[in-house]
Amino acid sequence: MNSKWQFWASAVLFVAVMGAAIYFPSLRKQVYKARDITEKTAEQARRELLPPAPMNSGDPLVRAKLYWGSRDRDGSLLPVTVELPLSSDPVLRAKQILNTLLAGPVDPQERTLPPDAALLAFYVLPDGTGVADFSEGLATGIPSGIQSEQLAVDSITHTLQANVPQVQRLKILIHGQEADTLAGHLDLTQAFQVSMKDGGAPTTSGVSILTAPIQKAIEKVKGGSKKK
Amino acid sequence: MGARGTEGIRESEVVLQFAAETKRALEAQGFQVLMTREGNDNPSFDDRSARVNAQRGAIFITLHIASTGLPGTVRTYVMQDFPRAIESPGLIQWDRAQAPFLGLSHKLGDLVQAELAKKFRGSPPNAEAAPVRQLRTTAAPAIAVEVSSVSVQQRSELDRMIPGVAEAIARGVAAFRPSYVVPGMPGMNPVTQP
Repeated sequence: MNSKWQFWASAVLFVAVMGAAIYFPSLRKQVYKARDITEKTAEQARRELLPPAPMNSGDPLVRAKLYWGSRDRDGSLLPVTVELPLSSDPVLRAKQILNTLLAGPVDPQERTLPPDAALLAFYVLPDGTGVADFSEGLATGIPSGIQSEQLAVDSITHTLQANVPQVQRLKILIHGQEADTLAGHLDLTQAFQVSMKDGGAPTTSGVSILTAPIQKAIEKVKGGSKKK
Repeated sequence: MGARGTEGIRESEVVLQFAAETKRALEAQGFQVLMTREGNDNPSFDDRSARVNAQRGAIFITLHIASTGLPGTVRTYVMQDFPRAIESPGLIQWDRAQAPFLGLSHKLGDLVQAELAKKFRGSPPNAEAAPVRQLRTTAAPAIAVEVSSVSVQQRSELDRMIPGVAEAIARGVAAFRPSYVVPGMPGMNPVTQP
């Protein structure tokens, strides 16, 4: 009786372990999938709340250069050439270009800025200092560390340098306030140099692509202007 | 506080072990070492700088574990150049206390990074410049050393790096010693040996 009970207990245990071994990987996939969907939904909600990137299909299509991270995780940036309708007004142009940078590349591994970050405002002072006011998502969503924080700022400054020559320095505000650091390491009290005196921007030639979020944004703008 | 990896590894915990081992390695080279924190306390940037700036002939090393980067690599950072400003002799200009020490910091950073690059493949050969907040208010040769990363699968991967990082830092600092002529008073501008 006792050995029979042991046999059935072992059998049930074996089946349970096997079942878990088969089910666990698919459960993990589902969790990752759900997390992606939640992230996208949060990002979409944020974008719906904010005024859309002021892209005007009447603006000429310009080959803009955007700096995203390298997939090698070596802390370097790679320029990606994208065709965008960009305004000739430096403030509007900076907003358009930074919103596109925030929208991110197709591959999330190349992202330099957190998906929850948003550009709240952008001004250019008479001395050529650009003031970019980001939402708190920039500070809270960025992976903490000198390398990751530097990469985020470099991707912004290099992108501005390549596309908005009027901006010579960049001051970053978080939710309208001056912050001591970006995420605990990088000093935000000073302005960052945008115009590179030593050709500091990466020189590697980029790939000319139209990323999915950018393509969608352009189509949305074109659709909106046709309706009018 | 600090970085946190997907496997629950906390920067604040691991970095103390790196610091303790580095302290031992530096003491073995004959240096006196003061830690700006020993436990889970979190002194402000200015508190840490005040402690360093009161020392005579000190160097400053801040240790970090990154959230990103190629696991198993280490990078040394020095403060980037400051915009020009009027110097007021005799006083530490707190917001730009690092400015007179930039040359020495670059030298210290390169020596430490050269040792780190020998031990950790994939690490850059030289120190990099970055506007690290902690370094800006430090009136001494100062570097930040960042280990990649808290995103490793196993905590043991980081633990294995501890002795190598400590030894490389101690060697770099020992190599730097002859080039640093200690200023007469704390916070005074440094003299560089030719």
